[in-house]
Amino acid sequence: MNDIQLPAIDYAALLPMLIVFGAACVGILVEAFAPRGWRFVIQVSLTIGGLVAGLVAIIVNRDLEITTIGGAVTVDGPGLFLQGAIIILGIVSLGLIAERRLERGGPFVAEAAHAANSDGDKRQEREPGATEVFPLTLFAIAGMMLFCVSGDLLTMFVALEVFSLPLYLLCGLARRRRLISQEAALKYFLLGAFASAFFLYGVALLYGYAGTVSLTGIREGVLQSEQSGILLAAGLALLAIGLLFKAAAVPFHVWTPDVYQGAPTPVTALMAACTKAAAFGGLLRVFNVAFETTAWDWQPVLATVAILTMVVGSILAVAQTDIKRLLAYSSVANAGYLLVGVVSLNGAVGSSLFYLIAYGFSVLGAFAMVTLVRDSEGEATHLSRWAGLGKGSPLFSALFTFLMLGFAGIPLTSGFTSKFALFSSAWDSDQSVLVIVGVLSSVVLAFPYLKVVVLLWLNPPGEETPTVSVPSMLTRAVIFAGVAVTFVLGVAPSFLLDIVADAGPFLAK
Amino acid sequence: MDGYLGSYATLGVLLVVAGAFFVVAYTANRVLRTNAPSAAKSTSYECGLDPAEGSDWAQAQIRYYVYAFLYALFAVESVFLFPWAVVFDGLGMVSVAEMGVFVAVLALGLLYAWRKGVLTWT
Amino acid sequence: MHPVIPYVLAAMLFGAGVYGVVVRRNAVLVLMAVELMLGAVNLVLVTADATMRLHTGQTLALFVIVVAAAEVGLGLAIVLQLYRLRRSIVTDDVGAEPASAEGEEEPVKVVA
Repeated sequence: MNDIQLPAIDYAALLPMLIVFGAACVGILVEAFAPRGWRFVIQVSLTIGGLVAGLVAIIVNRDLEITTIGGAVTVDGPGLFLQGAIIILGIVSLGLIAERRLERGGPFVAEAAHAANSDGDKRQEREPGATEVFPLTLFAIAGMMLFCVSGDLLTMFVALEVFSLPLYLLCGLARRRRLISQEAALKYFLLGAFASAFFLYGVALLYGYAGTVSLTGIREGVLQSEQSGILLAAGLALLAIGLLFKAAAVPFHVWTPDVYQGAPTPVTALMAACTKAAAFGGLLRVFNVAFETTAWDWQPVLATVAILTMVVGSILAVAQTDIKRLLAYSSVANAGYLLVGVVSLNGAVGSSLFYLIAYGFSVLGAFAMVTLVRDSEGEATHLSRWAGLGKGSPLFSALFTFLMLGFAGIPLTSGFTSKFALFSSAWDSDQSVLVIVGVLSSVVLAFPYLKVVVLLWLNPPGEETPTVSVPSMLTRAVIFAGVAVTFVLGVAPSFLLDIVADAGPFLAK
Repeated sequence: MDGYLGSYATLGVLLVVAGAFFVVAYTANRVLRTNAPSAAKSTSYECGLDPAEGSDWAQAQIRYYVYAFLYALFAVESVFLFPWAVVFDGLGMVSVAEMGVFVAVLALGLLYAWRKGVLTWT
Repeated sequence: MHPVIPYVLAAMLFGAGVYGVVVRRNAVLVLMAVELMLGAVNLVLVTADATMRLHTGQTLALFVIVVAAAEVGLGLAIVLQLYRLRRSIVTDDVGAEPASAEGEEEPVKVVA
């Protein structure tokens, strides 16, 4: 009976995730026992401390290449890079989550259990926001880190849920406009649960096909299995649906604009930067490790999805009148560009990682600036309200213009270098059709960004132009980081390109 | 009666017989019975109660939700505890410590619920 | 030999779940449909486990059950919140203006 052996565990390899998970658990204890007045300070320092410690552990591990806990976790170059990217982007977005000067009590509601517009809800309008958001954010970030290094599909599923569940909750916690915030949470949850059921069914079919859920086992099973190929094809398709949903690829993108608009802007920023990195980390790993040998079968399908995503995302972005929805559709289109990297397999892993960092910082900066434009109702996100902001707030408008130009892919910004790196490596991998569609769609996508720029500078201000609030150091730091990285990676991208080149391919043994 | 699906033949025959019995019984009933419909006869029958009015949507007291949730927490805990209990004898203290960590993380949730006051019946 | 019946049954269960998610307008019923899909997953896992004598599929099924429980717990909380908000959990209405935010005695609106 007792022929079961404990798998060997390399705690050093797991340390970054253990630190972040541990910090999240301590965060819960703080919520339970620390006096109310102290919680905010303790939580912020704990969260930042945990993330920084995790980052240090990743840097110490940087040359590690190991598969541990019986194949459940595969720590390798790209995995570590993605973990580091998620932590860094997480630290930056924490600046927005912890901001308490723009809005009295912070961007989150004190007690989400109050129904919107009820008496209790009105009473809590001035109370400080819930500090539970910090442990929730930590759990989400730790789940994303695990997602990027999971060596089998079951771990991947558990990690997917660990980072999704806190995000569903965080979406419903906006202080202002409680209605659309809670509805965003419901939509995200129902569609997310639907998608993860697809993911799981795909896992189950692949298990039926290969007799294992480990990515390397499936890679070998593809060559040896006696089971029907239908199981493999159906399993792969369903698995991909689950992953593409998180990555917001067309036609699984319908949740994106509503959720991005309804969620509190700091959470939207976290989702746009970190969740995107995690989702594409997972996609890259699954397709590069488990299904590389069957690439001929799925590449045409995934290429079609990539083309659809780029075209639909950029065309719909043109029609948007709300800045958060505009950025949501731009994130859909960017998912399309990243899918080009996935289709190109090993040739484009490095440039995809570079793209994730560059896009993550730009989008964090952009959402940080969205939180500043306010009127008495909270954030004024409708584009018509932004007309003529350049007159009253030239510095704000100049920085926002720079970020918009970055998204549009103008040279001297990271938007240009990252697209150039991605498309040239895809071109080298013989994906010329995708590259052509990508370049054409990014020309279309430049239009809505330039529209915003024109609106800021050339349009006359409306009757009730919202004011640009003065934020605390935290949001300033986020904006500075976003703008600075967008500029530095646009001017001198070589150091980061060297790092992603050193990260090497995914470990497929 | 052989081959993979052959083993299901008995079940199949049973299903066919059951279906035929149902059809024959109800057809005979319909043919032989008298027919005198009235309004009272077509209301839904609930033993000893007046039929529910309007919506079929019943509400439970919301307080039960927290308890149901905590029950799920511990039911889920035992799902992992049982297989572990079967094998932990041969695995030594390491597995005990690992399970301790797992239970402690779950207990953390309970602790939080207790401190937030959801365990007191108001 | 291929275990056709369990696989077909699982596919039908999964299809019923997908149909439920697409057609049902009640958030709780949508959640139940998702559970149906996860049931199909467990069936496939256990079938593969039994036919290939692997003993890992059972464990995977346990994980699926546990994560599904966590997911439903959280989902019910969100649905509950929405119910308090608008006295209705009809997913079609999400995004429309609430009929009455303060309504205490509004009739409960349920569409199956």
